[in-house]
Amino acid sequence: MSEWSPFSYVVTNLARFVRPNEITFSGVNSALPMLACLLAKRAYPFAFTYINVAGGVDPSPSMVPISSSDPVLAEGSRSIFANEDFYDLCTRGQMDLCFLGAAQVDALGRTNVSCIGDWHAPKVRLPGGGGGAVMLPTARRAVTWRTEHSRRTLVETLDFVTASGGMHGVVTPIAVFTKRDGRLVLASWHPEASLDEVQDRTGFRFETDGAEPTQPPTPAEAEALAALDPDARFERDAAIRLR
Amino acid sequence: MSLGTPKIVPLKDLAARVTDGSSLALGGSFLHRGPFALVRELIRQGRRDLEVIKQSPGYDIDILCRAGALGRARAGIVAMEGNFGLAPWYRRAVETGQIRLEEHACASLTAGLRAAAFGVPFMPCGGIHGSDLPALNGWKTVEDPYGSGETVYVIPRITPDFAVIHANEVSEEGDVRVYGTSHWDRIMSRSAKRVLVVAERVASSASFREQPELTLVPHFLVEAISIVPDGAWPGSCWPHYAVDYPAVEAYMDEAPGVLQAHLDAAPEAREAAHV
Repeated sequence: MSEWSPFSYVVTNLARFVRPNEITFSGVNSALPMLACLLAKRAYPFAFTYINVAGGVDPSPSMVPISSSDPVLAEGSRSIFANEDFYDLCTRGQMDLCFLGAAQVDALGRTNVSCIGDWHAPKVRLPGGGGGAVMLPTARRAVTWRTEHSRRTLVETLDFVTASGGMHGVVTPIAVFTKRDGRLVLASWHPEASLDEVQDRTGFRFETDGAEPTQPPTPAEAEALAALDPDARFERDAAIRLR
Repeated sequence: MSLGTPKIVPLKDLAARVTDGSSLALGGSFLHRGPFALVRELIRQGRRDLEVIKQSPGYDIDILCRAGALGRARAGIVAMEGNFGLAPWYRRAVETGQIRLEEHACASLTAGLRAAAFGVPFMPCGGIHGSDLPALNGWKTVEDPYGSGETVYVIPRITPDFAVIHANEVSEEGDVRVYGTSHWDRIMSRSAKRVLVVAERVASSASFREQPELTLVPHFLVEAISIVPDGAWPGSCWPHYAVDYPAVEAYMDEAPGVLQAHLDAAPEAREAAHV
């Protein structure tokens, strides 16, 4: 049993990408970024605008839904800012931070969410990129997460380039990457992992200058996540392992 | 389509308008406010070779694949969502070539629908640069003819045969009201050749006149409507009901007979059985 659960590690480090006075978006199939945005609202002493795929704008949902596109996420919203609205906001350059899913990520922060194997004869047909191909190149920053840190998820060569433009950040159960000069570099690693382990489990080469063990959760972060997931239902469902 | 034509018809009749091979823009997103009662009725009527056009289909596309009713799809992201992950019957249908997929970004699909809604043959779409999708789909770029130097992708027009929307309330005349997010229902209703609606209930015409800003689709765009309470089951219809997760979980069972049991357990089937 790890001191800092890999579930908390991923959610907390996603939340740490949220900055004051910015517009931050979380979408479909994105329970962990949804929790990260709600965590940031509770834990951080600054204002930001949280918009989501249910049309919510700084909502006050009465419960935390299993589906990250649940209409509950528009409860108490100031507006319904629907799908066409937030895509247009992004393509005209006003989306500060958006969270986008990925199955594979390469060293440039490009993503594959389409297929494993050849697109025309896939071994696995994946969900598809949703917002990715349009939002990743047009958002000011985009951040993704993987619940598995391995050479099959962090790859040298993508099976298919669903979205280009480059992730600003990638969070896994053992590491946080950020972009520097167009490539992902290691920012920090889980205190119970190591630099060697991160390198060994990553399919692409990356710089490590300045990387260090990730700062543990603050009391405010820990309390916020505990309040959002009091019965550890999301933690059980996510079933994230350190290794 | 004058005001004199009765728009509210039984679900069987609504589904009968959709012939084999039709393309359907289905409203809602994943498990939320989808026109699922009509999707199931199409399956009961044995429809074949349908096409789904939807940015984020899930249960709807999966059950159509499971029933062998789907031939093609244009979609941005497909999953059951919640904790159910990939849509298994859809996934298999693509992997085995049972259906032909045109993979989109959600916004590129919207751009194609906008082209149809705006009455033009194609529509620019932001982003996309560097993706493998344009090569796959034959999407072309144009350079800004006004000299900014920007190059944008243009997406060809997408004109669905039908838009099918699940709504909260309709008037007798066919005005359509939706609470909460409209997802992509609005652009679907403006781009399709014909608009069909499944609604929870009828509300008074006066109430529509009192708050016209709540009307998503005016009556003159709507061909026909069926009233099916709980028709978005097993999904949600805000604020009337939430996702029925146990029912979705039961649907996910791959055993023989599960599809039929699921169809029989649906609100519109139980309603019909009691009539």
